[in-house]
This record gives sequence, structure tokens and C-alpha cells, in this order.
Amino acid sequence: MKTILKLIKKDYILFWHDKPAVGLTFLVPIVLIYIFGSIFSGGGSPQGIRLAFINSSNATVAKKIETALDTSSTFQLIKTYTNDQGKKVTFDTNSVKDFIRRGNASAALVIPADAFTDTSTSLRLKFYYDPKNNIEMQMIQGLLTQTIMTEIPSVFISSMQRKAEGYLGMEKGSNFNKQIASVISKYYKVDTAEILHGMQFAYTDSVDSDTSRKAGNFFSNILQMDKKQLVGANVTSPDATRSVGGWAVMFLLFTLTGTSTSLFDESKSGVILRILSSPISRVQILWSKYLYNISLGCIQLFVLFFLGYLLFNINIFSNFLNLVLMIIAASAASTAFGMLLAAFCKTAAQANGLGTFLVLTMSAVGGAWFPTFILPPFIQVISKLTIVYWAVEGFLKVLWNGYGFIDILPYLGALIGIAAVVNLVSLWKFKRGTIL
Amino acid sequence: MISIKNITKKFTNITALDNISLEINEKELFGLLGPNGAGKSTLMNLLVGYINADEGEILIDGEKISIENLDIRRKIGLVPQTLALYDDLSAQDNLEIFGSFFNIKKNTLKNVVADKLNMVQLYDRKKDKVKTFSGGMKRRLNLAASLLHDPQIILCDEPTVGVDPQSRNAIFEYLIKLNEQGKTIIYTTHYMEEAERLCSRIAIIDFGKIITTGVLETLLGELHYSQTILINKNHLTEKKTGLFQTFGEIINEQDKYELKPTNKLKLSDFFASMEENGINYESIEIKKPSLEALFLHLTGRRLRD
Ligand SMILES: Nc1ncnc2c1ncn2[C@@H]1O[C@H](COP(=O)(O)OP(=O)(O)O)[C@@H](O)[C@H]1O
Ligand SMILES: [Mg+2]
Repeated sequence: MKTILKLIKKDYILFWHDKPAVGLTFLVPIVLIYIFGSIFSGGGSPQGIRLAFINSSNATVAKKIETALDTSSTFQLIKTYTNDQGKKVTFDTNSVKDFIRRGNASAALVIPADAFTDTSTSLRLKFYYDPKNNIEMQMIQGLLTQTIMTEIPSVFISSMQRKAEGYLGMEKGSNFNKQIASVISKYYKVDTAEILHGMQFAYTDSVDSDTSRKAGNFFSNILQMDKKQLVGANVTSPDATRSVGGWAVMFLLFTLTGTSTSLFDESKSGVILRILSSPISRVQILWSKYLYNISLGCIQLFVLFFLGYLLFNINIFSNFLNLVLMIIAASAASTAFGMLLAAFCKTAAQANGLGTFLVLTMSAVGGAWFPTFILPPFIQVISKLTIVYWAVEGFLKVLWNGYGFIDILPYLGALIGIAAVVNLVSLWKFKRGTIL
Repeated sequence: MISIKNITKKFTNITALDNISLEINEKELFGLLGPNGAGKSTLMNLLVGYINADEGEILIDGEKISIENLDIRRKIGLVPQTLALYDDLSAQDNLEIFGSFFNIKKNTLKNVVADKLNMVQLYDRKKDKVKTFSGGMKRRLNLAASLLHDPQIILCDEPTVGVDPQSRNAIFEYLIKLNEQGKTIIYTTHYMEEAERLCSRIAIIDFGKIITTGVLETLLGELHYSQTILINKNHLTEKKTGLFQTFGEIINEQDKYELKPTNKLKLSDFFASMEENGINYESIEIKKPSLEALFLHLTGRRLRD
């Protein structure tokens, strides 16, 4: 037994001296648990979802919904956009659709002028959306319906009051009010739908739009959501198309972390000394490493996308040139990341440990696994600093939105920009380091 | 042809080389002898332009060596102290890769590689991965990989570390042959026997300073005695250390005593005394004094502490 204890102690000593292993054992899970935890804590309700918004109706209910959305922390209403002349303009139906098509927000809610009139028996809203992310879209729709529905009963009741007064005259009308009041007091104790059913509101049946009506469901009758998918309706394989970019980038980062750290092996074995004692300069070695890694990254990404095409029928060829540009930019940025690790770490084990940690964190935070909007706002700020974020978004723009060159420029630019800055930092570090 | 002039090289808190000057002649087999950490590898790295010196300069045929001077490296072949090979590749692949860095034409390169593999007796194993090789085979390949561009100057940085005696002898033979073919060779080692056996002229380096340099015989002449007596350790001789001490100073080696005789010792007296004490001549060997003795004489320290 003593011998076994000694052996165990030896293993613990070795483990403790292997800092990357310690890090991977504790730090990585802690950070990932924190990220996942912050998604599902707070009742799982995300904050500040961008929602384009037009209200053309004078109805009270419209005003109430606008106020409710304005004051809710779940949504951030966007009512204006900056036009070509750089001026802020209030949305109209066309510009709001464009806004969605351009990917500036995933959804728009339009309350048309005739959303709710004196003669209306239901509330008619228009909803434009870009389901570039399935989870996000389901969440937005769920939360939106919830917010609207909380406002509807009171409005409907007051409108019913007015109608009742019109039909019955003031006296009978006030009687009606009392009944309503008693019902309202009940309403707070008993399930809404039942009460409303009890009041026989369910006579509204005039549905004439292509809505997601559930027959017999009162709420679906009272709220007519006129939904239109503006983006990606023709995408052959939506789920695969949406997720391929994120996963591809994560594996790209893993690959390039590994290959960049090959510098350590070469340095340790003396091969670098051998290479540098031939007519080859350090700069040439660095260049070759960069180009090798970038080209390897391109090959890997292309193979992954091609497999996506073969297995899931992801349409990679309709916007192929832009896809290639994104592949190059993503590879360049990921290579820069790998080289940064090589420049700042002292051993390959260190670089690989730190690399694994950073790649997993960046993937979680940057939107490779789930949409970033469900993360707390301060983490969303960090998201935008990651390569994963810009790559994932860029690939979405190419494959999902079918964007042209001009429209993916921001993503190309962000990736190349990250690559340039990171490369300068690692070059500076290489110059004073010992690895080369 | 190689002039090292007042070279100083400092690392963060160590002066690895301290104002070193050396001249190495063409076609010489020059030995650089010093204990671990003396600065030998640092000097090799400077000679190949891997690092730059803080002060001083190194000229090869009048041309200055530096990190920036890439072309001059064609004249030099460095055999690094750490095995500089790709373990997962075959011997042949390794050589072809390293040869390609010198812009050797493809056809020529094939021949050169075969030639060098033959030279180090690894041709039969050319398709095998380096990681399957023994220490000695790796060292031989490490040497071959530095000769592909047929350099005029060969820098061997402790090329026999971790090597079996056969491979060591083989490496010596290759180097002697190369030297006979007119190559200039600088050979660093902390084994005095190697420097003694291989090199005509040596420099002894310690703590980044050249302690002495010159032709072996001349250096040994600095000692006050012209021969040492080696006595094998055995049950008899081990009891007689007191007796030996009457003839001179004793250095306790692993399997023998080295006796540095006093000035007036006559070998005949010594042998007579040995005979008296029953120590047979087979356990006794007369040699010229070793570098070990010289190092001790110069620094007051053993070469390998
Ligand atoms: N890159 C380096 N950074 C810091 N110190 C170094 C470096 N290279 C060598 N040294 C130090 O310089 C001294 C000489 O080293 P080296 O030239 O390798 O000695 P040798 O080859 O004779 O054993 C040693 O003390 C060593 O620790
Ligand atoms: Mg050394």
C-alpha cells in the first residue's frame, strides 16, 4: 500500500509540474461552465436582442406594445436607420426589409396602420425575419409573442367595453363594466385563456393571412402574425448551412495551433539551427511557416465545406468566390493566432495547453456552438474580439445570405485586421525570443 | 583562414564568451576542448552566423560572418550538438530536405544523398525512420546531413555524445578522411581523449575564455614532466597508493591512477620498485602527459568535475 501511495504521489507531482495539464483539467471547464451558466442563468432570457420596429397604428394596443417592448430589457428596438446620405431616417416597410436582408438585425416587427381598428376582432402584425440562427429565431418569436400577449387582454377588454357601451348605452354599459371588473379580479387568479374563453371572446374567426394559426386556439385568432422569411428561404440545407462555419473554424484553430507550435519541436531538436546554418534567414522561415499554415488552413476549410456539400447538400458553389475569400481570411487570422501562441509560449506543451483553452473559449464566446445573442452583454463585447465571431458571421453572410464581395468586406477586413495586428505583435516577440 | 577576433557574447546574465581570439588555418583539424558550459556551442553558433556577437568579429577568408550574411554559410557545415533531424522521416528524406536548402539540383542531390549515406554506412537503412535508429546511427546521420553541400569548413559540435565506441571510431575515421581531403575541421569536445587523438592543434576554453592554444606537443611541454605513468587499478595496486606517491602526484581516475612524476624521477628506479612490490609490468603504461593533466595544471581544476 505504501508503495502505491508513493507512486500516486509521484503522479501528482508530475501532474502539478505539467501546468498545461493542470490548466486543461481545471481552468477550461471552469470558464466553459461559466459561459454556459451565464446563458441559462437569469431564467434563460437574453438581453438587448435587436428588433427593427415600425409602428404606423394609432390604436392604443399598438402604443402599449411599443411601450412594453421599449421598456423590456429583452429587446432593443431599432426604429431608425442611417441612409445612403448618412442621415438617420425612420423605417418604412421597404427599408426595414432591407435592414433585415442586410443582416443588421434578425427580425423586424411592423405594426401596420390597420393593425387594430374599432371594427377589428384581432390584432394584425407583420413580422419579417432572417432565421440565420434557429435558436435565436425561436427565442425571438417566443419572447415577442409573450410580450405582446401580456398587453393584449387589457386592451381588448377596454375595447370591448367601448363596444358594449356603444351597443348597450351608458347604463347597461357600466353594468357590463362591473361584470368585466369581477372577471378581471378573477383573471388574476385563474388562467387567462379560460377566463377569456369564459367571456366568449372566441368568436373571432376572420383569418385571412398566411399565419401560423392553430385552429381552435384563441390566442392565435386574436393575434394575427403575418410572418415573412426574408433571408435564406431558398437555402437548401438550412441547419447544416448555419452551423458549418462555426465548427469548421473551431477545427481550423485547433489544426493551426498544432502546426504553429511545430516551431518548438524544430527549435528543440536543433533543426532550426541546422536550417539557419544553411543560406536561409529567420524571416524566410517565418514567412514559410505563415504561408504553410495559411495554405493548410485553406485546404482544411475547403475539405470541410466540400464534405458539407457532399453530406448535407450545403450549397457552396453559388457564392464560391466569396467563400474562397472568407476561407483565406479565416485561415490567415487563425494562423496568426497560432503564431502568437508560438511567439509567447516557452514550450510546445504550454502553447498547446493554452491553445486548447483559448480555442474552446473563443468557440463558445464567438458563436461557433450557439448564437452569441444569448450571452450576457459584456461577453458579447468579448465575442467581437474573437476570430471565431468574425469567421462565423462571415461564413453565414456568404452561405446563408449569399452576400457579394462588398457586403462581406467588413468580415474580411476584421479577420485580416486581426491577423495583421496579431502578426505584428508576434513578430515583435519573435525578434526578442529564443525560439528562432 | 578563420580569424576570430576579440569575440564577446553575453546572454542575459552570463558572459558565454569573453574576448576570445583564435586563428584557425586552412586544412587544419582544430580541437576546441572545454568542460560543459565553457562556451563551445556558443562559438560554433557564432561561426555559422546563427547568432551575432556583442563585440568583435569573425572572418572567413576575409569575409565577415553575421546573421545577415547568408551566402557565406555555403562554405560551412555545422554538425549541431543536439540531433538536428526529423525523427518521423526516413534517413533519405531527411537528407533530401536539408540538401534542398542549398539549392542542389534534384538529380545531383539524389547522388549526393546516396554518397553521404554510403559514407556514414547508413545506405541500407536509408528508408527507415530516424526514430528507429540507435544513438550512434543518428549521430552519423547528423554528420552526413551537414556535408551535403560539400562545405570547405566543417564545425563538429560534440559529435560523439551518447555514442557507442564503434560509431565513435567510425565518426573519427570519417573526419580524419575528410581532413585528408583538405577540409578544415573544428572539433569541440569535453573528452580530452578525443582531442588528443584527433587534433593537431587545440584551444582549451573555460568559462568563456581561451586558457591556452597551440600544438599539442608544445602545450604538453609546458608541463614540468614529459611523461605520465598510468597504473591500472587492481587488488594489488590499490593498496600501494602510498608507494606511488613517493614518485609523484597521483590523479585518481576511474579504472587507473595517473602518476605525474617528479622532475628527478628515473623510470628505471620506478620499475625496480614496482618489481620489488610484486606489481607486474602489464598494469603499467608510460604515456605522454594527457590534456587532463594539462587542464589541471592550467586551471587547478579537473576537466570533468
Ligand atoms: N541562448 C542562451 N541563453 C542564455 N544562456 C545561454 C544560451 N546559450 C548558452 N548559454 C549559456 O552560455 C554558457 C555557454 O554555453 P555553451 O556555449 O552551450 O557551452 P558548451 O557548448 O561549451 O557546453 C552556458 O553557461 C550556457 O548556459
Ligand atoms: Mg555545447
